[in-house]
Amino acid sequence: MAGDPRVQEVLDRALAEVAGARSTSDLEQVRVRVLGRSGQLTTLLRSLGAIPAAERPRIGEQTNQAKASVEAAIAARLEGLKAEERRLTLQADRPDLTLPGRRPAPGPVHPITRVTEEIIEVFEGLGFSVAEGPEVESDYYNFAALNFPDDHPARDMQDTFHVGPDMLLRTHTSPVQIRTMKAQRPPVRIICLGKVYRRDILDATHSPMFHQVEGLAVDKHITMADLKATLQLFAREMFGPASSVRFRPSFFPFTEPSAEVDVRCFKCGGDGCRFCKDSGWLEILGSGMVHPNVLRNVGYDPEEVTGWAFGMGIDRIALLKYEIDDIRLFFDNDLRFLQQFAGLPGR
Amino acid sequence: MKISFRWLKEFVETDLDARAVADRLTNAGIGVEQITPVVEGLAGVVVGEIEAIERDLGVSATGHHNQLVRVALPERRFSVVCGAPNAAPGVRAAFAPPGARLPGLGEVKAVKIRGLVSEGILCSEKELGISDDHSGLLLLPAEAPLGADLAMYLGLDDWILDIEITPNRPDALSVVGVAREVSAVTGAPFRFPKVQVGEVEPEAAALAALDIQAPDLCPRFCARVIAGLTVKPSPPWLAQRLRAVGLRPINNVVDVTNYIMWELGQPLHAFDLDTLAQHAVVVRRARPGERIKTLDGQERAVGPDTALVCDPDHAVGIGGVMGGADSEVTASTTRVLLEAAYWDPGSIRRTARALGLSTDAAYRFERGGDIEAPPDVLARAAQLMAELGGGTVARGVLDAYPAPRPHRRINLRLSRVDRVVGACPPRADAVRILQALGFAVDDSGDDLQVVVPSFRRDIHEEDDLVEELVRIWGYDQIPLTLAGGGEIVPVKRPPGLRVARVMSRALNAAGLFEAVTWSFLDPDRLKRMGWGDPAALITLQNPSSIERSVLRPSLVPGLLEVLAINANRQMPDARLFEVGNVFSPHRPEDGDRPAHEELRLGIALTGLRAPRAWFTSGRDRVDVYDAKGLAELALHAAGLTDADTRAWPAEQLPAYLEPGRAARLVRGSLELGWFGEVAPGAREVFDLPGPVFVAELSVTALVGLPAPSVKYEPLPRFPAVQRDLAIVVGSEVTAGEVEAAIRAMRLGLLTRITLFDVYTGGQVGAGRRSLAWSLTFQAPDRTLTDAEVNRLHERIVAEIARRFRAEIRGA
Repeated sequence: MAGDPRVQEVLDRALAEVAGARSTSDLEQVRVRVLGRSGQLTTLLRSLGAIPAAERPRIGEQTNQAKASVEAAIAARLEGLKAEERRLTLQADRPDLTLPGRRPAPGPVHPITRVTEEIIEVFEGLGFSVAEGPEVESDYYNFAALNFPDDHPARDMQDTFHVGPDMLLRTHTSPVQIRTMKAQRPPVRIICLGKVYRRDILDATHSPMFHQVEGLAVDKHITMADLKATLQLFAREMFGPASSVRFRPSFFPFTEPSAEVDVRCFKCGGDGCRFCKDSGWLEILGSGMVHPNVLRNVGYDPEEVTGWAFGMGIDRIALLKYEIDDIRLFFDNDLRFLQQFAGLPGR
Repeated sequence: MKISFRWLKEFVETDLDARAVADRLTNAGIGVEQITPVVEGLAGVVVGEIEAIERDLGVSATGHHNQLVRVALPERRFSVVCGAPNAAPGVRAAFAPPGARLPGLGEVKAVKIRGLVSEGILCSEKELGISDDHSGLLLLPAEAPLGADLAMYLGLDDWILDIEITPNRPDALSVVGVAREVSAVTGAPFRFPKVQVGEVEPEAAALAALDIQAPDLCPRFCARVIAGLTVKPSPPWLAQRLRAVGLRPINNVVDVTNYIMWELGQPLHAFDLDTLAQHAVVVRRARPGERIKTLDGQERAVGPDTALVCDPDHAVGIGGVMGGADSEVTASTTRVLLEAAYWDPGSIRRTARALGLSTDAAYRFERGGDIEAPPDVLARAAQLMAELGGGTVARGVLDAYPAPRPHRRINLRLSRVDRVVGACPPRADAVRILQALGFAVDDSGDDLQVVVPSFRRDIHEEDDLVEELVRIWGYDQIPLTLAGGGEIVPVKRPPGLRVARVMSRALNAAGLFEAVTWSFLDPDRLKRMGWGDPAALITLQNPSSIERSVLRPSLVPGLLEVLAINANRQMPDARLFEVGNVFSPHRPEDGDRPAHEELRLGIALTGLRAPRAWFTSGRDRVDVYDAKGLAELALHAAGLTDADTRAWPAEQLPAYLEPGRAARLVRGSLELGWFGEVAPGAREVFDLPGPVFVAELSVTALVGLPAPSVKYEPLPRFPAVQRDLAIVVGSEVTAGEVEAAIRAMRLGLLTRITLFDVYTGGQVGAGRRSLAWSLTFQAPDRTLTDAEVNRLHERIVAEIARRFRAEIRGA
């Protein structure tokens, strides 16, 4: 059964036009021309009224089939054209992915803060709370309560800035230990942090202001063996699993027995290098068992509780860790220096 | 303190070498800092004799008067050209024949000098490497054996241990004290120097008298008299020993006092007895305004806390610190009163500090002498002095010791050692260690009964003995344990630290650099910045420099200094912050804290807002809104989202801020901080060329606020409606006022007000400003109708138009 030639003609022309469409808008024009409200096929269907009734179903069906064919051809062509157009667009507007990103760069954290946070993290993990206290102190908290006798040469070990009658800049963070112990009963497990001041002339290795961290543990069964193990653990967390510590007898008025603690040089592993002055060890900590007089001064009974304490300079650790050769760099805050400590701590 | 290893070995018989001994000492707390040979590169130098001066060679080009001399050794003779003025026939001197080695010169060879062959070198002390003296030959006594090895003869084949003695151990400031430690750590026998003194009549008491009038300052004073002395240079071995430990040989009398002090730790002083009026010594407090001329030739004023050694007429020495010039031993001295005393440590320290004098004697006495040492020390010193000076020692010791001190007795529980240390040496070892250190030990009971010797002033109680035991036993014997099983205590952080940390991290994330600046500032700079009230500053009494002599009252000056440092180094763009304490005088709420300290966060910005990049114009500079916004960001991080901006009363505005370009941040009546632009005058103090914007917040104030509590609000279920409100107002009207007025209408359905445009310019006319807000209306329970929203919007428009004489733009 041959189709109606008018329908066939429209269909053939429409398919040819679809195939010849150069763009999606060409194609849209074809669609409107053939399938639109007054398009050729639509018009044909409308004109069915003028056709003998017997032929209407046949021509109607033929027209609907033609419509479906054109729609399918348009859809297929559209997909091709869209892909082509996207390809052209991408080609025309291709980003240079090597350009720097729009990056809000985080500002660096000061190296002193970085090291401080690392130390806090280690000791918080061991159950130590952080304690702070004033930087301007009285003689009592800075010296007397810590078993420094009046007029004793031990006071020369820490040359002091005075700011008024019985007012000084703390020479260590140990006054925080006294304040904390006076405010609470044992057990005490704290680290004390902050700025300390000694009357040194500023040069590459000395600064009148520096930062200290001290640890204090007081409880019923605290021994020097615990101190050794704690500092060994700290050294390994801070300087790597191969690190170890060495204790040498020393003297601090507030501890008895007292010990200087050396950490095996983490730069050379103990073979000797410029950081450890060829000794294989870095002298970075002072420590000992809390002197009974100190415990008495805060109202603790040395027969009931014992304790250990240690102290170290944060600046010194930072100097060693980052191989910085001049302590003044910390306080100049040259942006190019600070910029080297990129990335937020905790990484 | 420098100690000669040979000298040390006179008192302890150890087979260990110097390095091994040094290591043991260091491990026992007597830290050996350095070991050095007395001389290096010296070999083959011998004792020679100048037999004859053969020819005078005249003055050389270098100004030396050269002679050709003949030097004799037992086997042969040498012809030597020598320029030393003290070369003379018959003297014995250090001689380096060809083949010998000298420090710095290497091997000695026969050389031609002005046509003559010089076979070796007659040596000065400098050429031998034992001092800087090059004024003449090192002359040796006539009894020095000809041809003997000089290094052996003078004891130059020796090591010097440089030891750091902690301030609690004055007893170890001597060769004997260190020898006792060596004995304890090595087990080698310790020998105290033999003290035998040959005495002759008359009695010392008949030659001199003692009167101690200040026994609190001078609890013991002993003296001996040595007569018939000839003051002359010390023999070479003694002079060399002093030189090797860093002391300068002077004469046989003074050198003996120094030698014995170094050996036994007891400072001595020799007076010329015949300069003392009535041959009497009085020890008394200095009188108010009293002055004394000390050995170093200085006139010094002393106070009543100082003990003076006097004769009945005048002061002849500052007790325990320095002798007087008038009673000094001189070449003509023949009779010496030799003093060995014990001085009150506190008084010595105060006197030495007040006078700015640091002498070997004061160094020992302020740490504490041995009150029982003087008689034996005097005997040894007097004997040696008599031997070297050809004199005699008068019989007996003058000894004023009115209140003899008992020895301290301490009960030591070995269980206590274990309790404190976590380990304990075996009982027999413990007893041996304590005895080796000079303690008497009664081992018959459960505990050890320990008697403390007079030279260990640092041993007060049981735990002090614990340390003595363990440091000798060895810290490496202590095991490693971690205390467990105790009470669990929650870990806490101070709130200030927590708040400061979140604020810091927020600012870091926004690109700011963290700085750490000095707590001390330059008062002159502060003044030039217009810092109002000097009384509100805390000043260091003994600053190390005037530029760092007041405690910072604000973080701003320190941050400006950092901007200046960077600007000077070609980094004009900087965005910084710092967290730290600022200081002001004590307030009642500070309690026993001597000053008021407040934790602050400071921000300083200058130059470009962001580094130049392909996606920025590269011209956006920071302004006051950056300072404000970053301060608000930090507050926000701390949980505070509703700070208000308030103008500064003109009289309260800090002088270093620009008027009209700075404001406070408050919450209710609580001052949180401020932000603003630095005044040009203050900028000039730091040579900062471009505008600088700063902010400062009180972390302490934030800590006082209750922690922010978060409560969920149901999400809106009905759509919101937006309306814009654009007005033109006089430029004196602030955006904050307008917003506050809208909020004051308390329209429940108005849920958000956002300022989105600010415009000044031709279109709105001079002195006027256009402001535009987006208003969001929303109801929790229904969809708002246009009519409803329009009514609300019209009310707002009417209110704003009325209150601010605003012209409403658009619709």
